[in-house]
Amino acid sequence: MAQPRVHFTSSNLFITLVWIAILVCAWEIGAAYIETVKRTPENVLPHLWQIVQSVFSDKAVAGGLTARQIVLNAAAATLARAGIGFAIGTGIGFGLALLMKLSGIVEKIAFPYLMIIQMIPILGMAPIVLGITGDIGQSRIVIAAILTFYPVAANTLAGLKSVEPEKDSLFLSYAATRPQTYVKLYIPVALPYFFTGMKIAAPLAITASILVDTLQGDGGLGCMLSQSLKHAMSIFVFWQIVFFSAIVGVLSINAVTLAERLALPNERRARKWSKA
Amino acid sequence: MEQSVKDRVSGIVLPVAFAAVLLVLWQTQALHAILGTDTFTFPLPGHIARILAGNVPKILENLSATCTVVFGGLAIGCVAGYGISVAAAMSPRWGVGGLRVIGAFNAIPIVALAPVVINLTRDVSGDVEVRSTVAKIIVVALLCAVVMSLGAYRGLTDLKPFSEDLLLSYAADRKTIFLKLRLPNSVPHIFIALRVIVPTSVISALISEYFAEYIIGIGRMIRDNITLAQYATAWAYIVVACGLGIASYAVLLLVEKLVCGKRWRT
Amino acid sequence: MVEISIKDLGMVYSRNETVALEGVTLDIERGEFVSLLGPSGCGKTTLLRIIANLLEPTSGALTVADGTPEQARKDRKYGIVFQSPVLQNWRTVRKNVELPLEIMHVPPMERRERADAMLHMVGLHRFFDAYPEELSGGMQQRVGIARALVIEPEILLMDEPFSALDEFTREKLQADLLQIWQESGKTIVFVTHNIAEAVYLSDRVCVFSPRPGRLSAVVDVKLKRPRPLEIRDTAEFVEYVARVRGSFEGV
Repeated sequence: MAQPRVHFTSSNLFITLVWIAILVCAWEIGAAYIETVKRTPENVLPHLWQIVQSVFSDKAVAGGLTARQIVLNAAAATLARAGIGFAIGTGIGFGLALLMKLSGIVEKIAFPYLMIIQMIPILGMAPIVLGITGDIGQSRIVIAAILTFYPVAANTLAGLKSVEPEKDSLFLSYAATRPQTYVKLYIPVALPYFFTGMKIAAPLAITASILVDTLQGDGGLGCMLSQSLKHAMSIFVFWQIVFFSAIVGVLSINAVTLAERLALPNERRARKWSKA
Repeated sequence: MEQSVKDRVSGIVLPVAFAAVLLVLWQTQALHAILGTDTFTFPLPGHIARILAGNVPKILENLSATCTVVFGGLAIGCVAGYGISVAAAMSPRWGVGGLRVIGAFNAIPIVALAPVVINLTRDVSGDVEVRSTVAKIIVVALLCAVVMSLGAYRGLTDLKPFSEDLLLSYAADRKTIFLKLRLPNSVPHIFIALRVIVPTSVISALISEYFAEYIIGIGRMIRDNITLAQYATAWAYIVVACGLGIASYAVLLLVEKLVCGKRWRT
Repeated sequence: MVEISIKDLGMVYSRNETVALEGVTLDIERGEFVSLLGPSGCGKTTLLRIIANLLEPTSGALTVADGTPEQARKDRKYGIVFQSPVLQNWRTVRKNVELPLEIMHVPPMERRERADAMLHMVGLHRFFDAYPEELSGGMQQRVGIARALVIEPEILLMDEPFSALDEFTREKLQADLLQIWQESGKTIVFVTHNIAEAVYLSDRVCVFSPRPGRLSAVVDVKLKRPRPLEIRDTAEFVEYVARVRGSFEGV
């Protein structure tokens, strides 16, 4: 179908840009107001350009390091642990979903607990995990893995169950073995759901890792964030981390989307077809 | 699909048996051996139960503080989020763009959001308890509003084919189409969003307590007791937190069943 | 008396420059049963949607019930039945039929009486309080018909209403529709791609051909009424079917 020519001012990109501009304006108006009423406005709401400036500043703010260096060093520690936890959680989640589909007994035992896990505040339990493992790095991994595990398992299971009975019968009629049926039918159908689960889990894993940081003074984004809030170093470290974590959170979802496109190049086309 | 009686019974017996095995392992300290920990950091269930029983007034005080934040934030956030989705549905071109920007808030860690909001609300009241509560409620409300606006927007715009044409054929105006079609159509989507929102609001309340000025709430108690190495007390509060999470979710499922019943399938 | 008058109507979708309809001229008499018949893509549904004022034509003129289509829609001169029943599954059967009356601010008591009367007419009096998902496809479509008739329209517009149903259900609904039409005297415009269905139901069959969508023939069906189901087995009926089939162009 021939796409009509769209003028730039009515394109989606333009509309999104306008909204971002509105947000920036609102922030700046707030910052300008705060500036007139507060003695240390940067603690409450600094100008955006001040935050950007602090990123490129070469002034050391603590221990001979610039704010940018502090944030990046801390990010390496936090994000690496988040990544490991995310990978472990994804693996366990996918495995459990497969087991639950394969075995009625496993499903019956695990399903209520899968329900309960989404109801209990796992992040609130972060301190106790730190207490049990005694190691901040391990705690980050464990919490990130638990938070990743649930959405991946639940979504993958939903995907495995979304296979229509007719298709299963079709494979039966081919006398396909069970592994064949899973490799050719169930897993391909479940993969988009699996990626959806990962998209939900990715920012959660990062949040978890940052939160665990705040519990102990051992580097990491969360740790620097609390120290900066307590004025142990420039407050702009805090503002940088706020934006950095938000951006990394959004990027983590984009990374999963990219992985999905690479893994399932035909999925988008297939979806377009089914719509037409 | 009707489940057989045998299926249903085993669906209850098996998980309960699993829980019983876990409890026995825990009480006999076999679980401690597996996790490589001790009864000090991972106290026995009996011990936790005794602490719960012995601290009822204090626990209730903290629970009510947390509940104020959870349900206050939940209510405000859901109403605001639904309002946003209605506004977005009125002019979809601009609305979708706005929602896309709002969706990005989903990825912002609560840990970063909470201190910002607490900073911004310092002048709300001279009373530290009041302004602390306001800050926590705002954090919860923001997160709820994001999820609700995205979910409800889908419900308001994802209509059955022809259903809008049908109402247009009756010369219904926009307000009528909203009241008779979009609003009821969004009800199941509201509940889908609530299933995300209710657990989120509990978690975000607990975490915003970590950062709040005024020291109160289940979340803060978990953290502070661990800092003081009072693990058993921290565990008691964890049990309360889990109870709150499960109870609020159960209430949601009940309300959903009552409201939706046969009319809406979610 | 002419109910719907269509003059040299054309419709071009600006999105992809598709010519959906070209030079359609047709008068539909009051009380007449007219079918718009053709394969998919021939513009028959487009024409119905233009009559219903759900689409604006790009050229030509038409009047519906002596006014513009917009006026007819605003005055609720027509009821419409879609291919899928489009029921609101959060409302009971009765409440679904009451929906248009609610929009017209009919008082509750009257609303209920009229809805119940229509449900009796389509044979659903035992299912007032059922929810749509508890009904079969044919019963759901009956609810859709009752909902279209409850506003007492002059015209009934039907867009392939029976195409998703099985053969047995379809035949029963066709017979019931004819009876309803004979009792109520409405003008019916019926879109279908089923030749036998068009011949069985209609006074006139308007045959549409695709690329571009146009009215290629109009066949008068002079079978006697009332028409029992068995009329389909007569030589006369089969001859009409053959004549209609012969009038397609470029399919």
